[in-house]
Amino acid sequence: MAEGLKIPDIGGKSPQGERMPIIQVKNLYKVYRVGETKVYALGGVDFTMYRGEFCAIVGPSGSGKSTLLNMLAGLEKPTKGEIVIDRVHIEKMKENELVAFRRQKVGFIFQSYNLLKTLNAVENVALPLSFRGMPRRKRNEIAKKYLKLVGLEKQMNHMANAMSGGQQQRVGIARALAVNPKIIFADEPTGNLDSKTTMEILKLMRRIVREQNQTLVMVTHDNHLASYADRQFHIVDGKIFKIEECHHEEEEGKCEAFL
Amino acid sequence: MRFLDLLTMSVNNLRRRKLRTALTVLGVIIGVASVVIMVSLGIGLNALMLEQYASYGDMTTISIYSDSYYGGSSGDSEPNYLTDEVLGQFERLDHVTAVSPMLSTYVIMKQGIYEANVNIVGVSREYLKRIPLGQGQVPEEGDEMKLIYGNWIIQRFSNSKTGEGYWDTGELADIDYMNKPMFVIFDTSAYYQSQGGGENQTKPPKKYMINAAGVVEGGIDDYNSYAYSVYTDIDALKTQLRQIYKKNPIPDQPTNKKGKPYPYFIYEQAVVFVDEMSNVTDVQQTLIDMGYQADSQMQWIEQSQQTYDVIQLVLGGIGAISLFVAAIGIANTMMMSIYERTKEIGVIKVLGCDMGNIRNMFLIESGFIGFMGGVIGLIISFTVSYVMNNYLGIGQIMMGIEGDISRIPLWLAASAIGFAILVGMVAGFFPSLRAMRLSPLAAIRNE
Repeated sequence: MAEGLKIPDIGGKSPQGERMPIIQVKNLYKVYRVGETKVYALGGVDFTMYRGEFCAIVGPSGSGKSTLLNMLAGLEKPTKGEIVIDRVHIEKMKENELVAFRRQKVGFIFQSYNLLKTLNAVENVALPLSFRGMPRRKRNEIAKKYLKLVGLEKQMNHMANAMSGGQQQRVGIARALAVNPKIIFADEPTGNLDSKTTMEILKLMRRIVREQNQTLVMVTHDNHLASYADRQFHIVDGKIFKIEECHHEEEEGKCEAFL
Repeated sequence: MRFLDLLTMSVNNLRRRKLRTALTVLGVIIGVASVVIMVSLGIGLNALMLEQYASYGDMTTISIYSDSYYGGSSGDSEPNYLTDEVLGQFERLDHVTAVSPMLSTYVIMKQGIYEANVNIVGVSREYLKRIPLGQGQVPEEGDEMKLIYGNWIIQRFSNSKTGEGYWDTGELADIDYMNKPMFVIFDTSAYYQSQGGGENQTKPPKKYMINAAGVVEGGIDDYNSYAYSVYTDIDALKTQLRQIYKKNPIPDQPTNKKGKPYPYFIYEQAVVFVDEMSNVTDVQQTLIDMGYQADSQMQWIEQSQQTYDVIQLVLGGIGAISLFVAAIGIANTMMMSIYERTKEIGVIKVLGCDMGNIRNMFLIESGFIGFMGGVIGLIISFTVSYVMNNYLGIGQIMMGIEGDISRIPLWLAASAIGFAILVGMVAGFFPSLRAMRLSPLAAIRNE
């Protein structure tokens, strides 16, 4: 198990009442070489995300937001800088260590759902658990529980491509949640959905991570969607341009700018 | 990941592409079937040859002779007779299970009006037990002398009044070994003297009534290596001979330089039993090195066997080519499947599927193709083999003897399936490494 030190689980706060950092990024660079020229996808990014937070990474296309997410999830290696997730440096990990890290700590929600077509809803949700070596009966039980949570009691045995986009994304969310991850990464999770379903999915995600005290990191290009997050990291040309905090207890959309 | 889950995923993936899987499997079927059938023919030919030799006599026995017995070339040195002491040395050699002396003595046998000149051979109990009996049984240890008759012995009896035997009349003598008494005259020279008539006629030697213990199986048309002798327990024969000749020299026993008989028996021949056919040649060579003449069926078999080994290699090689082509087919199918599933592989990698598991998933897939091909190929091989053996009579045409020309022993069947799986996995090895190393980023890209 690649799990780090166990920390007491007190609502994402340390005993002193401070917020527990879960993702710490320091001076992160990603440079692509295109022929002779260097392209800075990320040019020195620093931030911290805390446990139980719903963070949105917002920016226009080509701003480097997806690159940032890929690096946080260990799918791409940074050129320079540090990424500490749950007290572990992931920038130096080898590929098989990164896979183990994702298996233990990360849930992933994709824009195009990426369900396995040969499997039904339950099997799809149970899939990441099978990677952990969990016996079939146990993992199917867990999968059913999460499918209920996302409101798909009736579609449990449907094959992946026999469902609508919204339903498929709910399965995707259940799949990400089923592994009980510390962090959930979502890459444009509503990008392929209509606006009504988008709202449902977004609210569902926010409700569940709040209930389970998980960290949700969502990448989007849509400012409106980002406003559902606790904090919005605006990224432009590979740099963080401002971080906004929103208080959703009041009316939606009232965010205050920090930078 | 659990093996069962891996297997389920792999099999599901194969089921998803039924036609392509079936075609790839078909290649393996043809490959496996051709290898198995070719090798089974090689085995069948070899076995037919061995059976042919086996019908001439036991293949794990070596017959030993001593030159000295026949007044051979021992020169000044002590003659190397076959004695109990020497046989004891043989028995201690590696791979030798038993040794039997063969002490033969010519006798005249009489029953009713029939009589015959017969060779009685005294052999060890191990030897007696190897003789296939049609009637009766091997005498108990320490029993009085009892005889086991070869199935052709009956042809030797002739009518003492007319002097005509089986070869003259074509009729078998009316002999009952088991139920009527048989009289045996050991001292044949004394017998002929007594028959001679004239002045120096002597008293005929004593006749001994000796019971039969059994008869070798088979009729007068069935050949086997025990057909033309009468066998008895060596110890019983020795006792009998000592009793008859007392202090007189026993006929056919060599004498020392002073013309005196030795105080022990000297055998004309001995038989060494070897544990396995493959050791016969080695043992035989050891015996020759010890200064004796040694003969076995093996020396003939080995030559033929070398020929058949080459035949088998050529036949197997022809089959192996089609299996090799099938392996290329598997590699191709796996490669295609990985290209198609790039995104899916990326997804499971993002979701935390271990790299080794991904590799194994594809190895199992290609191994499973091999397995299916192996099993079906084997079924086809058995069918073809059955047809060849039972309906075509190829064995009769090629070797001129009855028997199965195509034989699939258990080891061939098992190794065919094992080899098919191995071929599948080897063919799938590089594709599976490729799958393992695919970038997970492919999954995130949105097309």
